[in-house]
Amino acid sequence: MSKETTTPPPGYDPQREQMLDFKVDGQLAQIVASDRKNFILTTIDEVFNWARLSSLWPVTFGLACCAIEMMAASATRYDIDRFGAGAFRATPRQADLMIVSGTVTAKMAKRLRLIYDQMPEPKWVVAMGSCAIGGGPYFKYGYHVVKGVDFMVPVDVYIPGCPPRPEVLLDGLMRLQDKIRGRKGKFRPPKWISEYAQKIPYRK
Amino acid sequence: MAPDEKNTVATGGWAEQGKIPGLKSELLEINMGPQHPATHGVLRLLIKTDGEIVYEVVPYIGYLHRCAEKIAEGCDYRQWVVYTDRFDYLAPMNCNFAYVVAVENMLPELEVPERAEHIRIICAELQRIASHLIALGTFGLDMGAWTPLLYCFREREVILNIFERLCGGRMLYNYMTIGGVRFDLPDGFAEEVLDFIDMFEHKKIDDYNTLLSYNKIFIERTADVGLISLAVAHAYGCTGPVLRGSGLPWDCRRNDPYSIYERFEFDIPYGMGEMGTVGDSWDRYMVRVREMRESCRIVRQALASMSSGPVIDPNLKKVLRVPAGSRYTRTESAKGELGHFIIADGGTKPFRIKVRSPSYSNLHVIQKIGPGLMVSDLVATVGSLDIVLGEIDR
Amino acid sequence: MEQAAIYQLLVERLGDTAGLAWHEEGPQSFATVAAEQIQAVARFLREEPRLDFDLLMCLSGIDWDGYDENGKGKSVDILGYREDGIPETSDRVAEGDLGVAYHLYSYQHEHQFALQLRVRRGKPIVTTVSDIWPTAEWHEREAFDLLGIQFSGHPDLRRILLEDSWVGHPLRKNYQMPGQWQEVPLKGQPYSKNPFKPEQDSVADDSGDSGNSGEG
Repeated sequence: MSKETTTPPPGYDPQREQMLDFKVDGQLAQIVASDRKNFILTTIDEVFNWARLSSLWPVTFGLACCAIEMMAASATRYDIDRFGAGAFRATPRQADLMIVSGTVTAKMAKRLRLIYDQMPEPKWVVAMGSCAIGGGPYFKYGYHVVKGVDFMVPVDVYIPGCPPRPEVLLDGLMRLQDKIRGRKGKFRPPKWISEYAQKIPYRK
Repeated sequence: MAPDEKNTVATGGWAEQGKIPGLKSELLEINMGPQHPATHGVLRLLIKTDGEIVYEVVPYIGYLHRCAEKIAEGCDYRQWVVYTDRFDYLAPMNCNFAYVVAVENMLPELEVPERAEHIRIICAELQRIASHLIALGTFGLDMGAWTPLLYCFREREVILNIFERLCGGRMLYNYMTIGGVRFDLPDGFAEEVLDFIDMFEHKKIDDYNTLLSYNKIFIERTADVGLISLAVAHAYGCTGPVLRGSGLPWDCRRNDPYSIYERFEFDIPYGMGEMGTVGDSWDRYMVRVREMRESCRIVRQALASMSSGPVIDPNLKKVLRVPAGSRYTRTESAKGELGHFIIADGGTKPFRIKVRSPSYSNLHVIQKIGPGLMVSDLVATVGSLDIVLGEIDR
Repeated sequence: MEQAAIYQLLVERLGDTAGLAWHEEGPQSFATVAAEQIQAVARFLREEPRLDFDLLMCLSGIDWDGYDENGKGKSVDILGYREDGIPETSDRVAEGDLGVAYHLYSYQHEHQFALQLRVRRGKPIVTTVSDIWPTAEWHEREAFDLLGIQFSGHPDLRRILLEDSWVGHPLRKNYQMPGQWQEVPLKGQPYSKNPFKPEQDSVADDSGDSGNSGEG
């Protein structure tokens, strides 16, 4: 990775990019290495993390076309149950993963926020498909489309595609598992997330 | 049990059946909210019930309104084919087909080559099979039957493999274009399709019949449930398997043909009330199963009569201008009559496109037949209508 | 029956009151009718035994603002979101009429018919046909929602695809895209080039900016 970067474009927030972009293995090694001070707590942390990532239960939040690929991922050929994530819970109170698959519209945004808030901690969000990442093909004239689900909820993994193949969804799930494995201690969301999170009223 | 606006006290239903004098209860307003585990998408049904019998159903749509008709006024004719995929995302080839046929009807000098027509028919019919497979699978899932869903997905994966070899996309293809199709067939395509049809037509459909169609529990749950009479179907604009399930053998491919459907021989299955009354959910379901067989017949005939040649009109200009005028063209999608009303102004972008989607009118009928059903019957009826929210909200 | 024959029948019965006109040029011929008479015309088309139009296939609202009458494709452009996600604005005043198009079909006689009508933009009121064809209820609600055409006599005229508190009618040609709606942000994030791969930036510049419509 070359260090001679161009000047970042306007609107580029380095803190945000760093928080959400988990593609650098070096960072993972640093985080894990700094945990090695306390052996016992580290092992317990690792056990809890292993338990959490091996049984991520998604809440059924299929909105549009990507939902069909999510269904195909849970069908027999690209079995998602072998990752422990096969139990799709209808109620968010029993789930810890929200796969936002499909376009989030202005009408649906509040319900999305409501479902997210009803999930107990620790919880993760996967933005599946280009509509959930950045509005997708509806960017230019979509007056009713929220241009990316990260305007509403904090996202952990972005899975590109329109729609992404089921294998890509599984790959995204594995990246999320890496992320869970590498974090330390309690679930502490970064500060900028609470700014976003408190701004949107969902009970009218 | 007729509901009215001021009727909030349940006097029929369980209060009467229980024969407990003076028992009164209020109607419960439940939200079958936009997020629910049925797979029909983001639909909200506001149900007024006394606990078991539904007194009023009001569907709320628009949770997936993606402004496709506005986008049509901003991009080229060819560019908009991408958005037609996303209407009925379970049968995108049919949606592509409807749009390109509508535009080609407004271009008088355009001639789609024979090979492209045959390829389009094959893709559309294979897509119809794939869409009906999901319809059957999820219908069974709404009843609580898990296995047929997995079997249907297994068959659908074979079709998706075929389409992926053809055009690179697994679920949303953007394959048909104005004047033909975008790519020619790969090698071995005909053999692959014939292998699938041979395996599917006789063995798999019988599997589904054994598992689901003639299953006693399934029949108990769907026969005589959600009756749509022919008059109601006409009044509320229901088309497709919903209309054919009510007894009318009317199919756009037969009665108002487009493309080269006149050359092929196929029957139109319609509901005859075998297990209950004409127009119940079982009839609509069985129409879909039988339509899959007919689609296999059409694919065989199309493969046999395919010729060689170009797959896109060679005289088509790079910059496509459609002469001014307006026209409504309709086709038979897997869900019903899918039509496009296009107003052109002589330029490269359409002036107005209105998409008439079949699920929009099919869903409207639930407001009429919902009252009087039990809640689980309502789920069965909505499942038998086979709606796709991408199409309803556009 | 042929389209022209149907129109002749219509003219015989209602020609003097309905303001009918027949348009035959173009890919599909249609009849135009005055907006106040649509109920009478629709009822005749539905109930006349030789016509028997029992299916309303499609009811579309149209905004004729800026339509290029010469057929050269010079109609006005619509406003969208810019590359940085901010909505475009314009001071253009809308002109032109609003319209409704009806497409009918008869199952018994297997013939089609197309009708169009126009209303002034300042007073877009059309009589409803939902008592003749109940499917028109939802189609008219959609035309009201997206274009602002009011249907008098409609049992329940409110927005169907957008929320009830939405302001504006999106399918009009001078509609400006909203930046947000009730605290839900609708503006986009600006396009940004990936800063970690500088050697590919020159390739991206050659192929032009990625801000094309339809490409996302």
